Amino acid sequence: MSSSTDKKLKTILAKVLLIDEAKISDELSRKTVKEWDSMAHLMLVSEIESVFEVTMDDDDIMEIQTVADIKKTLQKLGITA
Amino acid sequence: MDSKEQPEKRIGEQPSLQMEKVLDKVREEPTHLNYWNVYKRIQQLDLTSLNVPDEKRVKVALLSSFTVDPLGMYLDVKCRLVQLDPEIYVAPFNQYQQEILDENSGLYAFKPDVIVLAVQADVLVNENFYSDFVKLSDVGQYQTEILDRIQAILSTLSARTDALILVNNFMVPPFTPLGILDNKAECGFRSFFYELNQKLADLYKESSQVYVVNLEAAAGKHGKSRCLDPKLYYRGSLLFSESFLPVIADEYMGYIKALKNLTRKCIVLDLDNVMWGGIIGEDGIEGIQLGNDSPGNAYKDFQRTLLSYYNRGVLLAVNSKNNPEDAMKAIREHPHMLLREKHFAAMKINWQNKVQNMIELAKEINIGLDSMVFMDDNPREREQMKQSLPQVLVVEMPASPFLYRQTLESMNDFNLLALTEEDKKRGEMYHARKQRKELRESIGSLEDFLKSLEMKIVIKQADDLGLPRIVRMVNKTNQFNLTSRRYTDSEIRKMKELGNEFEVYGLQVSDRLGDEGIVGVAIVRKEPEVWILDSFLLSCRVIGRKVETAFLAAIVADAKKEGVSMVVGEYIPTQKNSPVKNFYSSHGFEKLSREGDLYRWKLDLSKQSVKMPEWMDVKHE
Repeated sequence: MSSSTDKKLKTILAKVLLIDEAKISDELSRKTVKEWDSMAHLMLVSEIESVFEVTMDDDDIMEIQTVADIKKTLQKLGITA
Repeated sequence: MDSKEQPEKRIGEQPSLQMEKVLDKVREEPTHLNYWNVYKRIQQLDLTSLNVPDEKRVKVALLSSFTVDPLGMYLDVKCRLVQLDPEIYVAPFNQYQQEILDENSGLYAFKPDVIVLAVQADVLVNENFYSDFVKLSDVGQYQTEILDRIQAILSTLSARTDALILVNNFMVPPFTPLGILDNKAECGFRSFFYELNQKLADLYKESSQVYVVNLEAAAGKHGKSRCLDPKLYYRGSLLFSESFLPVIADEYMGYIKALKNLTRKCIVLDLDNVMWGGIIGEDGIEGIQLGNDSPGNAYKDFQRTLLSYYNRGVLLAVNSKNNPEDAMKAIREHPHMLLREKHFAAMKINWQNKVQNMIELAKEINIGLDSMVFMDDNPREREQMKQSLPQVLVVEMPASPFLYRQTLESMNDFNLLALTEEDKKRGEMYHARKQRKELRESIGSLEDFLKSLEMKIVIKQADDLGLPRIVRMVNKTNQFNLTSRRYTDSEIRKMKELGNEFEVYGLQVSDRLGDEGIVGVAIVRKEPEVWILDSFLLSCRVIGRKVETAFLAAIVADAKKEGVSMVVGEYIPTQKNSPVKNFYSSHGFEKLSREGDLYRWKLDLSKQSVKMPEWMDVKHE
């Protein structure tokens, strides 16, 4: 994943989940972040889709549990380094 | 001094400062992501120590057939941006009917001030309505069905709450299966919705509780193809797209601001590069841009919108750095000026600081700075105004005059929940006031001046026609107001119905220079043997003409007629009502009692009365 892609993703995650950008890691998960509820999830997906100009598969969206999962889904859509 | 006090005070201030800091983010960059972020961060602030006065609190309930949480988020943040303290209740998804029908629902427990009802037409008719529309034989029956269902819901709702009810009309679908023949069909698909909207609006034209929000017009303005985001709609039942949410939220804010008395009354205008292009002092009357060619036509159009506001009762004033002779020549003589001297309630054209001018304008027009809007093309003047007088609404003027009109037309700060006769005449009234002032200066004694005005006053019990004005005065009057008690429209209607317990008076004043309309309100609480003046208030613009004495005299005379032995006047001092401090004592009342902030004065009717000023022509209805 390119550094600019990573930066863009971090900005979205930080703003939606109210987390310091420095504390965002691949391991960050829906289970541990209280703010990451279903509305926040929809918000995350919609922001990511509009910033990266992609449409994620509904099944993939359901399966996303961690930041790493988001990156995997983006890679599937050709958003890589 | 006492070192203990200060830190405590600071703790009290902190949450509001934190809030302002958080809000700056949407002020600077109002994106959807920032609204989300700001909303969530505000939720995390501990605001319990914030001391919010009741008039700044507002509870909004959202009832809907689709997911409206993001709308709640926008309303929350937008309320805070205008210093309101909102509480938002979002009814469970698509349970608006249960919430309304069940007396014990969360909705009623919440005790909302405002209820938004946003229901799509599709859910009110059967599932096949869209697909089978062209085959339907009697589409009128479907309109009736939809309207009946809305009416049934709303009548239950309005019977159970006094809240202001905002019901969306229906978005006319951009698609029609009839294509280019939609207008040829007996009832086209689009015509169906246009008619439906008209009928819905007609149903509530007279209501002072239910307002039909023109979702169709808001969507049209924004662009219907941008109002719905299919991804969000299908995945999350979100009907409004990210870009449309702030637009529709602003639509509701127009009502909320009107309800919470945040209505702006006066637009204060700079002249050069605002009312016309160029600088009058340098370019001269022939050189300034104002007329039928670009860019002069943009300035003329801007003036046209200002004039339409003037005709509706918004006051206009001038605050400009110029030689008064140069500017007045343009205002009086330029062939394309639509706004002339008579349209301005007051003018400050000089070389002094605009902030000082603004303070003087507010004083001259006799309205609060928080009722004023400032339009100036110079960012430095705007910044100075914002910092010195934060109460004034400073409009971010676009760089191009082509966008002036649009900027003015997109503001939602001039709304009133009801438009009275007084509103429409307001501009003329202020012009008459200017003349009255000049007359006062030319005639020596106050009594001679008052006689020369040939004043007529009418005192009567509130009727439906005058009620909106009375409600507004009760909620807006600060200075000449003995108790400053605020009552809603429905509370005052109830008082009127309870004729044995209450008397609601309105006072109308006119003189040879003009009609002022209703300028005074008194509410009497009737107890056996005693009439209590619960509220007594007058518009500042008639103060100093003995009108207050005439009003009081008429009420006292009424009390006597009913055989009451005593009139009690109540007085609650506030920061703003010092002009009425000695009102009761100067009219012969004696001290009766004091409970905290509430002072009571009495007038023993067996010994005393209030004398009617003799030069006044009084009609008592």
